[in-house]
Amino acid sequence: MLEDRLLVWRFKRGSRDALRAIYEKYADDLLTLAANLLDDKSGAEDVVQDVFVKFAESADNFRLTGSLKGFLARCVANRSRDYIRKRKRRHTAAANSAERKSAEVKSPVQLVINSEELTKLTHAMTELPYEQREAVVLHLHGAMRFRQIAKMQKVSTKTVQSRYRYGLDKLRSSMNGEARR
Amino acid sequence: MRPADNIEESIKKLRYKTDVETHKKVLGNVLEAIDKNERQKSGTIRPDIWRTIMNTKTRKLATAAAILIAAIITLYIIAGPFGTTASVYAEVAERLNRARTMTYKMITTTPEWMPDMEIEVAFKEPGLMRMTMAGGYVSVMDAVQGKGLSIVPDRKQFIEIDISNLPDDRGQNQLSTIERLRSLPDSADEELGTRVIDGQTVQGFRVSEEGFTYAVWIDPETRELVEIETEMVNAPGISGTMTDIRFNVELSDELFSITPPDGYTRLGLQVDASEASEDDLIEFLRLWSSWTKDNTFPPTLNPAEMAKVAMEMVKAGKFGPEQPTSDEVNLDDTMKVTRAVMFLMKLPAESNSRYSGENVKHGDAETRVFWYQPAGSETYRVIYGDLSVKDVASSDLPQ
Repeated sequence: MLEDRLLVWRFKRGSRDALRAIYEKYADDLLTLAANLLDDKSGAEDVVQDVFVKFAESADNFRLTGSLKGFLARCVANRSRDYIRKRKRRHTAAANSAERKSAEVKSPVQLVINSEELTKLTHAMTELPYEQREAVVLHLHGAMRFRQIAKMQKVSTKTVQSRYRYGLDKLRSSMNGEARR
Repeated sequence: MRPADNIEESIKKLRYKTDVETHKKVLGNVLEAIDKNERQKSGTIRPDIWRTIMNTKTRKLATAAAILIAAIITLYIIAGPFGTTASVYAEVAERLNRARTMTYKMITTTPEWMPDMEIEVAFKEPGLMRMTMAGGYVSVMDAVQGKGLSIVPDRKQFIEIDISNLPDDRGQNQLSTIERLRSLPDSADEELGTRVIDGQTVQGFRVSEEGFTYAVWIDPETRELVEIETEMVNAPGISGTMTDIRFNVELSDELFSITPPDGYTRLGLQVDASEASEDDLIEFLRLWSSWTKDNTFPPTLNPAEMAKVAMEMVKAGKFGPEQPTSDEVNLDDTMKVTRAVMFLMKLPAESNSRYSGENVKHGDAETRVFWYQPAGSETYRVIYGDLSVKDVASSDLPQ
């Protein structure tokens, strides 16, 4: 925590090394978060890049009041939502799913332990309604509390807990080969 | 175990595949965007702290908060962390003892309602100190003469400071930081290992003393002191970091001149350099209760929260109308607040201090407001709502 505050402080004073250190410390986790939210490699990279650019631009006014990782994770989640909205509009306008299909063919999410089961899980994740996937991913990869996710999704904590639970149930069903909606 | 059996753990294994090229590209784009942003900026914009503070309705408290943060951190930040059996420390301590001048930068990190402050500090033997803040605010102290000067450029004012009660032992002089450095404890609590600061590998040591925790970072190769960080046990949310530490830099005497600039008007300030005591806390409680409409004491004595609470109370109409007072009275009030906070911040955890003054009115002789156990005492000192003080046995106090 103190290390993060010092990194932020140095960065605010213009240290490129500090920004590089922050990036190197959290980029993997943030890219994983974005990739799981978007299922889109270039999208995940764009989102993380945008988040760091915004973070850099707001350096003069930025104040670290909680965990730096938590702050950046929230930024990634918000930016991912914007990205999804733009992507939907783009897809609707183009009426062409080639880009989407391309993304589906090769998921940006890779497996620590490569197995057929986990590959199946990767695809099952993409089938979840976005709100459920977001609840699952932010909680498990972003280490965000349900309360924080609820604030972001502008719903009650109970709703987020339900979305999380339904999401996990669907994933279990998919993994068990059950045909559910 | 199949993934479906422990779905949450399985999801955590879905990681983004990292490669060097991706990171190089993303980070490169980020740095490029920063360069572009910086080119678009014209000049450096820094918050005009003093103007912000002096224009706020709660100027007494806000001023106090700002000054106390600057003063306390500046004066105490380096009061403890040197000297250990480790040879790397011994060399740093030796360098300190030989130093004739010292300069460093200090950044104070404060709660979100206060601006962070960056202060450049210079010391020169014998007992000279200069602090420079953004906006051209300069303060000079001469611990030998017991005089000081503070310049407030945008108000065309200077504050002539008269320092009393300077101790004979300058190692105990809270205004002579370099002397405090030389009288530090001779052991660190723990080694913190190594880390990299701006490309430099440094070795860390932690020292805890009088309510402050210090992390001292030294370059093991050059034995140079690289950075000191401090956090305060009794003021969570306030921290400070000292960097760019240099010894024996050539410093002109003119930098430490206490001659005021022409065309500036004078304000006088008495600074008591003695050790802060419970009397200072009592004076602060008296002062606060004179500000509130119902003569109650502050809801909290947490230094990091006090000014914020005051501002909220102003908004809620809990303070009486601010009487037009002179700048000198405001400065005196500021010193009272600062000394009370200095007393609170130096209370060690073993003092078991406790504050229960919220909603208690000044004059309530029955209600305990604050108590603590002085070092070596078997009884507690208890301050009551009428600001009387009694020695009370531990068994007679609430647990």
